[in-house]
Amino acid sequence: MELSDANLQTLTEYLKKTLDPDPAIRRPAEKFLESVEGSQNYPLLLLTLLEKSQENVIKVCASVTFKNYIKRNWRIVEDEPNKICESDRVAIKANIVPLMLSSPEQIQKQLSDAISIIGREDFPQKWPDLLTEMVNRFQSGDFHVINGVLRTAHSLFKRYRHEFKSNELWTEIKLVLDAFALPLTNLFKATIELCSTHANDASALKVLFSSLILIAKLFYSLNFQDLPEFFEDNMETWMTNFHSLLTLDNKLLQTDDEEEAGLLELLKSQICDNAALYAQKYDEEFQPYLPRFVTAIWNLLVTTGQEVKYDLLVSNAIQFLASVCERPHYKHLFEDQNTLTSICEKVIVPNMEFRAADEEAFEDNSEEYIRRDLEGSDVDTRRRAACDLVRGLCKFFEGPVTGIFSGYVNSMLQEYAKNPSVNWKHKDAAIYLVTSLASKAQTQKHGITQANELVNLTEFFVNHIQPDLKSATVNEFPVLKADGIKYIMIFRNQVPKEQLLVSIPLLINHLQAESIVVHTYAAHALERLFTMRGTNNTTLITAAEMAPFVEVLLTNLFKALTLPGSSENEYIMKAIMRSFSLLQESIIPYMPSVITQLTQKLLAVSKNPSKPHFNHYMFESICLSIRITCKANPEAVGSFEEALFLVFTEILQNDVQEFIPYVFQVMSLLLEMHKNEIPSSYMALFPHLLQPVLWERTGNIPPLVRLLQAYLERGASTIASAAADKIPGLLGVFQKLIASKANDHQGFYLLNSIIEHMPPESVDQYRKQIFILLFQRLQNSKTTKFIKSFLVFINLYCVRYGALALQEIFDGIQPKMFGMVLEKIIIPEIQKVSGQVEKKICAVGITKILTECPPMMDTEYTKLWIPLLQALIGLFELPEDDTIPDEEHFIDIEDTPGYQTAFSQLAFAGKKEHDPVGQMVNNPRIHLAQSLHKLSTACPGRVLSMLSTSLNAEALQYLQGYLQAASVSLL
Amino acid sequence: LRRQRVEVSIELRKAKKDEQILKRRNISIHVKEANPSLGQDRAYEVSPSLEEIVEAVNGDDTELQLLATQATRRLLSRHKDPPINQIIELGIIPRMVEFLGRADNAALQFEAAWALTNIASGTSEHTRAVVEGGAIPAFISLLSSPHMHISEQSVWALGNIAGDGPLYRDALIARNVIPPLLALVSPATPVGFLRNITWTLSNLCRNKNPCPPLDAVQKILPVLIFLLQHEDKEVISDCCWALSYLTDSCNDRIQVVVDTGILPRLVELMGSPDVNVVTPALRAIGNVVTGTDQQTQEAIDAGVLTVLPRLLRHTKPVIQKEAAWTLSNIAAGPCQQIQQIITCGLLPPLVELLSKGDFKAQKEAVWVVANFMTGGTVHQVVELVRSGVLKPLLNLLLAKDSKTILTILETISKLFLAAEKLGETEKLCLLVEELDGLEKIEDLQNHENDMVYRAALNIIEKYFSGEENTDLEPQPGQDGLYDFSVEKQDFDF
Repeated sequence: MELSDANLQTLTEYLKKTLDPDPAIRRPAEKFLESVEGSQNYPLLLLTLLEKSQENVIKVCASVTFKNYIKRNWRIVEDEPNKICESDRVAIKANIVPLMLSSPEQIQKQLSDAISIIGREDFPQKWPDLLTEMVNRFQSGDFHVINGVLRTAHSLFKRYRHEFKSNELWTEIKLVLDAFALPLTNLFKATIELCSTHANDASALKVLFSSLILIAKLFYSLNFQDLPEFFEDNMETWMTNFHSLLTLDNKLLQTDDEEEAGLLELLKSQICDNAALYAQKYDEEFQPYLPRFVTAIWNLLVTTGQEVKYDLLVSNAIQFLASVCERPHYKHLFEDQNTLTSICEKVIVPNMEFRAADEEAFEDNSEEYIRRDLEGSDVDTRRRAACDLVRGLCKFFEGPVTGIFSGYVNSMLQEYAKNPSVNWKHKDAAIYLVTSLASKAQTQKHGITQANELVNLTEFFVNHIQPDLKSATVNEFPVLKADGIKYIMIFRNQVPKEQLLVSIPLLINHLQAESIVVHTYAAHALERLFTMRGTNNTTLITAAEMAPFVEVLLTNLFKALTLPGSSENEYIMKAIMRSFSLLQESIIPYMPSVITQLTQKLLAVSKNPSKPHFNHYMFESICLSIRITCKANPEAVGSFEEALFLVFTEILQNDVQEFIPYVFQVMSLLLEMHKNEIPSSYMALFPHLLQPVLWERTGNIPPLVRLLQAYLERGASTIASAAADKIPGLLGVFQKLIASKANDHQGFYLLNSIIEHMPPESVDQYRKQIFILLFQRLQNSKTTKFIKSFLVFINLYCVRYGALALQEIFDGIQPKMFGMVLEKIIIPEIQKVSGQVEKKICAVGITKILTECPPMMDTEYTKLWIPLLQALIGLFELPEDDTIPDEEHFIDIEDTPGYQTAFSQLAFAGKKEHDPVGQMVNNPRIHLAQSLHKLSTACPGRVLSMLSTSLNAEALQYLQGYLQAASVSLL
Repeated sequence: LRRQRVEVSIELRKAKKDEQILKRRNISIHVKEANPSLGQDRAYEVSPSLEEIVEAVNGDDTELQLLATQATRRLLSRHKDPPINQIIELGIIPRMVEFLGRADNAALQFEAAWALTNIASGTSEHTRAVVEGGAIPAFISLLSSPHMHISEQSVWALGNIAGDGPLYRDALIARNVIPPLLALVSPATPVGFLRNITWTLSNLCRNKNPCPPLDAVQKILPVLIFLLQHEDKEVISDCCWALSYLTDSCNDRIQVVVDTGILPRLVELMGSPDVNVVTPALRAIGNVVTGTDQQTQEAIDAGVLTVLPRLLRHTKPVIQKEAAWTLSNIAAGPCQQIQQIITCGLLPPLVELLSKGDFKAQKEAVWVVANFMTGGTVHQVVELVRSGVLKPLLNLLLAKDSKTILTILETISKLFLAAEKLGETEKLCLLVEELDGLEKIEDLQNHENDMVYRAALNIIEKYFSGEENTDLEPQPGQDGLYDFSVEKQDFDF
């Protein structure tokens, strides 16, 4: 592409088309530009346009296109062609800086971004004159130009804040420091001087302060990795000026905007960051300046207003104090009672106040409010910063601070008492203060876990929290109600049980509150109380204690779901689940209404599932309803199927992906409830469950495997007779799963069920293939997980079909295969098998190989007999894996392994543990003894002689123990 | 993972204040009494101009030569801004070197030696001017001068030359500087002189790439060991510096020092009240424990673990840092050595340092914990957690240093592995959350540094949520279901 007017014209037209709202025009234009961007001169044409075009839109469009072009193409990737020709690169680098600086702001920003992308690749080696070029502009006196340079420098240097130290990086920084530090310092001084010269010129001040902000940011980047010699030598200049800027105020710079931070706030906030950086990393050198900054920052806090625009500044400033006051050698700065009092009074208390903005959020944006207040995503708020400062101060001054605040709490409560409707915010602040003072450590699961012993939490609860909640009007002072409920929730482990019991009806009552925050908190508090552990791993609050409240609890919970704004409230749904789990059979009388409400809800949300937690707890609640009811009355399963299948069918037909895994789990649960042959309604669905499309979604795999297992348990013979043509499809699923390292265990679950339940003749023709597949996987990608499952499977096979069948099928695939598997897999790996049932299956299987497999006694396999026996004894004598799963009642979404993937396992749809050898063998050690006895009777002398010549002494000793326990002896 | 003293070719900071001085200028006045030369007072009255100096030095008048040399020496000895460059430009260095050989004129020899010493005390270029003027052999022969003040000045000058770097250091050694230098050490040597000798010896041991020749080191070592018993703090300090240089090297060189049996004395000196002794002694021992497990054991047997607690609590941040670095390398050893760390009560001061030490020291303390978690047994790790290490460790996730954050995250992952073995994952999760660690780790998922972000994400996914991933796939058959089929191959496991 030549740099010709004709080309400029063409390019202009295409650029214009890329702005067209009609995709039929826009898309081809975009495609065209992409197709020509590899041509020489293309970027230069863009630069020409953005400089010289008559139309402003084209200038801006060219600058954006140019930046995106640089982003896509500048980087030279190894082994890939260079996408921009060298002469274009040189020309771009030669022109871009002056071009950027002379452009209007909108274009300047795009070019500045482009420079930093180029800089990331080429600077410093391949762009040696960039720095000097930039620094020279500092002399220009034109702050539009200077700010352009500073902004570019900032985008080039900010990576120093997060990259690892390396010689390369430090060489670059050193180079930058050598060229940049002094001019930057001079510019800093000059800018400050200009600020006082132009103290009365608002527009000049704005430009100058923008420069100061950028300079302060550059200071942060350049000082981040280590304290550079230059800045150590010039600390006086920088810190003195930073300090005075912190204390500076100028009416002209104050903004009317209440929300958006102004230049002054942004600058001070960055200076707080700079001071915090020095205090943390260069304490030794910074020590002389630190007290001054503490005073300045604290004065700043005292004089800064409550508006939202100051939030970042205030929270940065408080965090600075919080980090300093924890350091032992600065303790003295805070020690004085007057200082402490004034920090408490003027910094902490005002920033704990409930502000208009909080009130607005409480009413209009309750979801966000709850998230911040309850889940602690409040990291940058003033309240949080103030709370951190309280905790910081308590480290050294717990007594005095608690004392000072107690005074405040009392006076705030008195203010409230005088006129609650006007002064309710005082009480809110008092509660917040008590909370932050008392809490030393906290988790979501348990609330406060360590409390300040100087605060009497129960007394405060009885005197100041309960009275609010006992008030007849649930809708009065909603903020205080929410505070009170939150108090119960977080201090639940500190307040005695009888007080919690008193609170329960109060909480149930507040489920009716109109305020979303209040009824959400009430539901959440109930749910948390129901999850508390008492002695013996039972719940602290028992079903008996809840008996008087069952009806009102259920009514209010479901009613709360109809309150505006709470139709998919996850806290309420979780409380429903937890209530069911706690109350158990006492919910049965209410079941008809409950299940109707749940299915209606399910139908409604399945149109557009948007709240994953809500949905999860809803399905958990459905499972609980089924389990609790059918436990008492197994016949009831039919009525659940009647109520649910219609909705389920709709979900499956509409392919509601979020819900399908849940539906499979509920269906598994229902199917397992059946005692007799599988109902035909289930059989009709069977072929559909084998559809590859379902198995391609990873989230479906575990629940579908579970469901197929339920089919096999209940309907293997029906499948063999009525759906024999589907057996290859079923095995195809097994093959699909076994091919994946992630899902192979699921494949084995399925295979184990097939082997255990299907009539042998129906799978005869496939048996060899199954093993060939497994051997292939073993050969190609052996993993521990695979081996463990494989071992369990072949032993299960041996138990079901006999040891001889196993040996024959192996050796039928390849001569001596059986010996190879014994020697290379079973003997060395058997110890890896974990799980009681799994170990038992392996023990019984190996016992069969040892005692019921003639080739083991009279072929070359005989040499493996002793090693195999030894491995089996090892399996017995390894310490048992005795980790017990958490009890279901206490389960939380977060605890469920696999949550956040597409599949969420329902705790209450849990499968009972199944022991396929349970009836056959009770004690596998005794079983081994008895089987050996039988073998020795068949060939007297042989077993004994093998044992005495090669079994190691320890194993022999164990074996003798088994024989004794079984009261048998070997011949 | 034992970490050698970091070799930073690039330094942003000011040259370290706690390092031993490489070159020194002689600006002391007391030496003049040892030099009762004539016309001294007159020289003070009128100092000659630079032109006059050149003329006199190059002339034949001995007295003028002396006066001019003395004037030169005075210029070079003034407190501020000695005109070294100008003097070099006068081109009189070769002449001064000649004066060193005037055995008949001790005063002239001395003044020339002093002047040259001060020139050599400047930049590398300055030192080079002296060396290229032929001063090395001249100074070496002056070591054996009958006049003690001359031989002392020569020792000083040679110290400056040796301090310039490995090149001149080895040039001196090749010229056999060591035997006459060592011959100067005797019980009768005055302390001041002894200090100069020790300092010059330390410069002969100093610098790497390459390190000083082995035979030279073996000659010097016995004398250093002897001097380390001296009561003068400066002598001891410079001896320790020398040993710290010799140990800042490969394990073979560390072994040479260990074999002298000096470690117990060095450990004893680490406990000295004098910070100028503690610093180099600690450095030397710190270097030894970068060596093999056996070498580290020697340091432990010498008692290093009993003095470290005090040094970890030292008021000077540099000492805290160096002590923590030393400990981190001991923690990188086998679990028996880690056990000794526990037994000797190092955990409480470590936790203290981690929570309130200077940032440089905290960074090293993080390494101690990281190494401990890597090499420690599950039981030892439990012990470490019980000592309260987790809270300050998690707090340091707020550090403004990406590498430190990454090291902490990796350490936490290791801790989780240990917890898994004990079946206490859930307990650890709660503990991390209680200590406000969870929210910090969650926040780090927004960190700009890719490795930090990944490490944080990894912990969150693994322990605070949970997930899996995916790879003989069957094709759908005619009935639309998966086709169950397979081809046989030969198996060999």
